[in-house]
Amino acid sequence: MQWRGKWQWPSVAVIVGLLLLLPFVLPRFYTYIIALIFVTALLAMSLNLTVGYGGMFQFHHGVFYGVGAYTVALILTKTKLPAWVAFAAGPVAAAITGLLIGGFCVRLTRLYFGMLQISLGSLIWAIVFRWYSFTGGDDGIHGIPMPDFISSLKSSYYFILAVLIVSLYLLYRIVNSPFGRTLQAIRDNPERCEAVGVNVRRHQLAAIVIATFFAGVAGVLFVVLEGSVFPDLLFWVLSLEVFIMCLLGGWFTFAGPILGAAIIVSLRTFVGIYTEYWTLILGVILIFLIFFLPEGVMGFLMKRFAPQPKAQVAERGNHAQG
Amino acid sequence: MRYRGRGFLLVFSVLIGSLLALAPVAWAGGKVIKVGIIDCYSGPPAVYAKDALNGFKLALKEINKKGVLGRKIVFTTRDTKFKVDIGLSMAKELIMREKVDLLVGTISSSVALAVSDLARKEKVPFFVWMAKSERITGELGHRYVFCTGENTAMAGKAIAVGLSKKPYVKYWIAGDDYEYGHAIGRAAWRNLKKFKPEVKKVGESWWKVGEPDLIPYLTAIMSAKPDAVIFCTGGRSMTNVLKAIKATGMAKKVAICIHTATDHASLKPLGPEAPEGVMGTMDYHFYYPDTPENRAFVEAFRAAYGEPPGFPAFHGWNTAHFIAAAYRKAGEVDTEKFIDAIEGLKIMSPVGEIEMRACDHQVVEPMFLGVTKKSPKYNFLISSDIVTLPGPEIMPSCEEIMALRARAKK
Amino acid sequence: MSLDAASLCTQLLVGLSRSMILFIVSAGMSFILGVLRVPNVAHGSLYMIGAFSAFSIYTYFGMGSTGFWLALLLAPLVVALVGFVAERVLFCHLYEREHLMLLLFTFALMLILGDLVKMVWGPEYSSIMPPGGLKGSVSIFGSAFPKYNLFLLVVGPLVAVFLWLFTNRTKMGKICRAAAVDREMVGALGINVSWVFAAAFVLGCYLAGIGGALVAPTVSITLGMDHDIIIEAFLIVTIGGLGNIWGALVGSLIFGVTQAFGVLLWPQFAIVFPYAAVVTVLLLKPRGLLKSVW
Repeated sequence: MQWRGKWQWPSVAVIVGLLLLLPFVLPRFYTYIIALIFVTALLAMSLNLTVGYGGMFQFHHGVFYGVGAYTVALILTKTKLPAWVAFAAGPVAAAITGLLIGGFCVRLTRLYFGMLQISLGSLIWAIVFRWYSFTGGDDGIHGIPMPDFISSLKSSYYFILAVLIVSLYLLYRIVNSPFGRTLQAIRDNPERCEAVGVNVRRHQLAAIVIATFFAGVAGVLFVVLEGSVFPDLLFWVLSLEVFIMCLLGGWFTFAGPILGAAIIVSLRTFVGIYTEYWTLILGVILIFLIFFLPEGVMGFLMKRFAPQPKAQVAERGNHAQG
Repeated sequence: MRYRGRGFLLVFSVLIGSLLALAPVAWAGGKVIKVGIIDCYSGPPAVYAKDALNGFKLALKEINKKGVLGRKIVFTTRDTKFKVDIGLSMAKELIMREKVDLLVGTISSSVALAVSDLARKEKVPFFVWMAKSERITGELGHRYVFCTGENTAMAGKAIAVGLSKKPYVKYWIAGDDYEYGHAIGRAAWRNLKKFKPEVKKVGESWWKVGEPDLIPYLTAIMSAKPDAVIFCTGGRSMTNVLKAIKATGMAKKVAICIHTATDHASLKPLGPEAPEGVMGTMDYHFYYPDTPENRAFVEAFRAAYGEPPGFPAFHGWNTAHFIAAAYRKAGEVDTEKFIDAIEGLKIMSPVGEIEMRACDHQVVEPMFLGVTKKSPKYNFLISSDIVTLPGPEIMPSCEEIMALRARAKK
Repeated sequence: MSLDAASLCTQLLVGLSRSMILFIVSAGMSFILGVLRVPNVAHGSLYMIGAFSAFSIYTYFGMGSTGFWLALLLAPLVVALVGFVAERVLFCHLYEREHLMLLLFTFALMLILGDLVKMVWGPEYSSIMPPGGLKGSVSIFGSAFPKYNLFLLVVGPLVAVFLWLFTNRTKMGKICRAAAVDREMVGALGINVSWVFAAAFVLGCYLAGIGGALVAPTVSITLGMDHDIIIEAFLIVTIGGLGNIWGALVGSLIFGVTQAFGVLLWPQFAIVFPYAAVVTVLLLKPRGLLKSVW
């Protein structure tokens, strides 16, 4: 899927410009929420690499997010290592975890893949949750010291935005590279790819490692924004929420998950103020998506405003058969 | 696809627009003092949170009749679901969006510590009214956090006073694996060892907060045959532990001591099925001491809410009165003046005069040690053979607290 | 810590009684997984509804022994009804759709049911007591063992036997097994596959309800029960072999017993023991110990 037409890069520039100005016009709370959306959007985008582009049942992506966040937190609170080491270690730890868990999961397909990932991910969650003396258990770790240049809300906002833009650019290039195209081919027809000589498992594993790396980056950004970590970051319900974000936004599109993340985070914050039944609403949204909008909001919008040439529609139809 | 950029821009602006449109609800007319309450209104701790809120509301009814510096005190509540991340984001929302003057809450020591850190950064006073970890006003204390309930240092000393008089030597410590559990375990053991050096700890077990099935843990403990067990359970597991004790008949075989075991809010849900013979420490009972202040408080509470108050209501009531008295003494609605005024302030509570100690912002109040027993008068168990320990006797000294804080800062 | 025969024995029995609950719930999930080929993520929520319904029925009928037995009888029916409604109104329309949609539906159902329970029963703690004859404890090798847990040790195998009889000796059960293996063939034989799925789903829900009602006197009935049990059921079903009821039994035994011994040996990390067992099994036999149904 490529950006075509003369509107895309100018639109991107406009959006980025807007985002740069926001902290100066919006109240603090909204700046905070938008920064949170950035972090979540990166997480959702990283998941989509495996789900949307890879067709894998990555059900417990949150584990890698949490591992990245906890790595940063532990290094910053328990050692005297400089911040940049912590920031680099987070995504690396996440990617290593992705390699290990992914290594087991790619041996299997579809449902088994997903269930095995949930099982292994839950093990990590259980360890973090119970190892009170090291990880703070259910309390989590708080008051994580940040270097001065990103310690205020505004500066962390810009830092997060910068990292997000760079990451999205990298993801975009990866998705449109030969590697990315092979990945999509594997998603659509793994047998044919095997026949042509593609090492399906290795490809999938590579995709997982990349996706989990970026999930780790998102985890680092989370710590920059919040200054705390908790075991919930590794809990499978959060993974489910991120999955829903991809679906909601449109998992066949590049930018869909960003939209999904924005919608879910905003709804969760504001609905949470007026009612305590956010989970119910999330469930209803999901049902609505399943029945009426399986292509997500972006997918729906794209079908309305930019009808696809017939060949591509048929291709996607094949995938929908599963 | 060439329209995608536009489509995205459109959706994005709609989103930003709706974010801005959801501006905070305007508070009721007139100038007010805004209090943001974060507490756990879901699950087992909800019974405590509701009780505290009721005590707070009861006090406000009286206070707002006269007003405080010409204003009414109003509040809004947020549910933390006993989770630290939710509690923190709620606190952030209350500070940044609702722009509250004060924060009040919560029952979970972990949430309290996290919010306390936030309160310090944002310079908003935070009154902890139920969480008991001594670290809140101890080593992690600061200018903007206050504790209007007893803490684990006080409870630990009270437990030690009670247990040191008994012949038990072999102890087992068990409880919830979170801040409060470990804090009370440490405090009780530290003090017990001081009073009776020959006691021995034969083992410890910690389960996850909210663990539903405690029977395997209790059977494992009983198989080790300790003389006594100190349970360190918080609001989430309190009733669960009592139920498991009853199911295994543990209280008949082993001596048990739990802080807040004798509290009405802990014993009421189990009614007549609660275990007898469990020792407990508590800082409030609606039936003791039988002073005119306590009777008036209990009657007013009963009239308003249909049942007697527990310790959370007691703390909630005290918190409201501390806040009102401090503002009145300060003379204006200014945070720093408010804090200066409240330090050292004494108010009249249902159990007598209590003080907000200036050096660490911890309330000085008495503790009551008792044993659970069936009562002919009520449908629930009560505390019997009550021993009173006056506040100043059970507090750690100011020097100790300052030393702890200095050590923690380095 | 005394690791003498008496305490080991008591912990073993405690673990086994917990395994029985796990088995009843996992068997339901495994059955649904076998026939519909979808892991019912909402299974934990149904279990929770079973526990809460048991509480309501218990309180309605006076909180005594009658209350308990009636709760045990009626609560699973309530859960089966909830499952039936969800299945006929929404779920069945997805059978022709992509597999992932079915799974996502069960996720959504879990989210919705979780909050519905909160709406109906409130967030407060609920508790029910075992019936008169099963209160208190007996002395086994000198250790106290709750009588109610003995009861669980009897009920568990009974349920297993009934399930076996159903799937092997009744026509409906055999049709379900057939549909698990080859649904097109079953359809070709003129049997309405959609109704077979409905029956399987409802049976699974009924089992979840029994599990919830049985567990109610031993634990605190609270929100969040669904999250706790669903992960355990997932793991058990995965190591047992997808769709295999006996696999669910084996998995539950492994899980419950390792957890009980974990509590005895290393209470703080007790949870790691069953997980470690699970990981070991999956490393050696990634598709589960017993054969998957499909």
